[in-house]
Amino acid sequence: MKALAGFALTALVLSALAFMLGSYQTDVYRKLLLWVTLALSYNFLFGIAGQVAFSHFTFYGIGAYAMVILLFQVGLPLPLAILAGIGLCVLLALVVAIPATRLEGFYLALATLAFAQLFIVVLNEGGTVTGAAGGLANYRLPEVFGMRVTGPWYTVVIVLLLLGTLASLWRLDRSWFGRACRAVRDDPQAAQAMGINVTATRIAAYTITSAMAGVAGMVYAFVDNTVNPPIFGLENSFLLLFMVIVGGSGRHAGAIVGAVLLYLLPFVLSPLIGHHHALVFGLFMVAVVLFQPKGVIGIWDGWMAKRRTAP
Amino acid sequence: MNTRTFAHRLDQAQRADTAEVPAAELLIVKGLCKQFGGLQAVAELDLDVRVGEILGVIGPNGAGKSTTFNMIAGALAPSAGTLTFDGELLAGLPAHAMAARGIMRTFQHNKPFTSMSVRENVMVGMHRRIKGPLWRVWVASASTVRAERAAAQRADELVEFVGLAAWRDADVATLSFGQGRLLEIARALAAEPRLILFDEPAAGLTPSECERLSIIIRQIASQGIAVLLIEHDMRFLMALADRVAVLNFGRKIAQGTPAQIRADDAVVKAYLGDLGAMADA
Repeated sequence: MKALAGFALTALVLSALAFMLGSYQTDVYRKLLLWVTLALSYNFLFGIAGQVAFSHFTFYGIGAYAMVILLFQVGLPLPLAILAGIGLCVLLALVVAIPATRLEGFYLALATLAFAQLFIVVLNEGGTVTGAAGGLANYRLPEVFGMRVTGPWYTVVIVLLLLGTLASLWRLDRSWFGRACRAVRDDPQAAQAMGINVTATRIAAYTITSAMAGVAGMVYAFVDNTVNPPIFGLENSFLLLFMVIVGGSGRHAGAIVGAVLLYLLPFVLSPLIGHHHALVFGLFMVAVVLFQPKGVIGIWDGWMAKRRTAP
Repeated sequence: MNTRTFAHRLDQAQRADTAEVPAAELLIVKGLCKQFGGLQAVAELDLDVRVGEILGVIGPNGAGKSTTFNMIAGALAPSAGTLTFDGELLAGLPAHAMAARGIMRTFQHNKPFTSMSVRENVMVGMHRRIKGPLWRVWVASASTVRAERAAAQRADELVEFVGLAAWRDADVATLSFGQGRLLEIARALAAEPRLILFDEPAAGLTPSECERLSIIIRQIASQGIAVLLIEHDMRFLMALADRVAVLNFGRKIAQGTPAQIRADDAVVKAYLGDLGAMADA
């Protein structure tokens, strides 16, 4: 009950914020919310299930493209397009996961990296279906029951997406499934001896989180009202990894803090030092990995532990 | 889900205590072989473990103890031979399928889940018993919530049973080696196993920890759980086991009660260097 009230209050505050912003700020705010959503599901895959996969942002792209193609080229109604889009993401995730999760660590990273590159190639070579290098544009969210969700109300949709993702991951994490994922990451042999089907657990974690990224992508499709290959390039997959590491991998709060920090950092740094902000970004990354492997949330934990032990 | 109730096991245990005839054989190993290239690690091995009994398996280094253990635990597939558990043929199944049938193991080198607390480690052991469809977790159905709460409670009981109550919420990294071994046991018990395999449980423990371990293992067997113990430490094993099987060069050279084993010529020969230890045991 307390958790539910907390979620409702957060939804209210985050939604209220949407109604106070100008158009530029709205764009920044929406993308921030989407990054946090992606970081949360990637944190489950990378931080909790321990899979070093670079395909997360690709599924975000698959969701976005699937939505646009299914709605405006196939001509499906919105609810059906959503279901079909999720189905497609699950199917593709299984196709990647079943061979790839048998691979561990380095090899999983390579396999998913190849998949991410392949996606960009398919987008560029997709002709009129994907719009090739120019992508797809000039579309807008269809009406549902004669109403079109626009402006701050669409931001509310993104807020609900974020909180829905967080609530789902929270429940999964605090269940036998979350423990199984952590157990498989910590020690696959011991996990198996406890009756955990290691391969099935890895596939499930990969598929569920990838589908979540796909759903976020479907929502994203109507944020810029255009999808094109450069948006879904590899650098964003790496940014997602950095967000989780900087924030503190394996922790929901860490993913949120990391996403907010790294997304907003360029906005703060660019006016000060222009394009050199990438350099500061890199140094910041190195510093975190070297001196604070548990991420920013690790510093917070340290403070709390000190406060508890202090008289 | 394991439907065997505690009462049922107790019932079996009592039968094991009172009956003149030996208790039911839970695990029957027949003609088990394992070849690694040209090396015959285990050859034509027959073993049986009965309900509520402690069967010890000993042998010098390289006798095939660990290979045997790993085949029963599902970590290695046998080259030949059968494993029958409660009437079901199991040879060659993966480890998680063995665990699902109630065969749990401990590791010689403790393998805790390092990112979890002591209690959570034990709860991982209940995986098979509380696992349900994932959508139930997602909607937080009443049965999921109840199962989770019951699991946490049961984990606390088991943590207390092995004597780690004070470390319940501790990070497993803070446990000593001996405490880690106790955690391994609590984790295996969490699955409500019918057979527990101990892989050299006394290795690396202090004498007082060994003492405590013996008591715990006896308590486990008295609950009607079959115990298979592979051990290097003769003194520890001889005092604990109901029956002992001796392996040498992958073959069983003797089997019987600890007293019979001590008097067995073949065993004495195989353990020539350990004669002193045998006499003390």
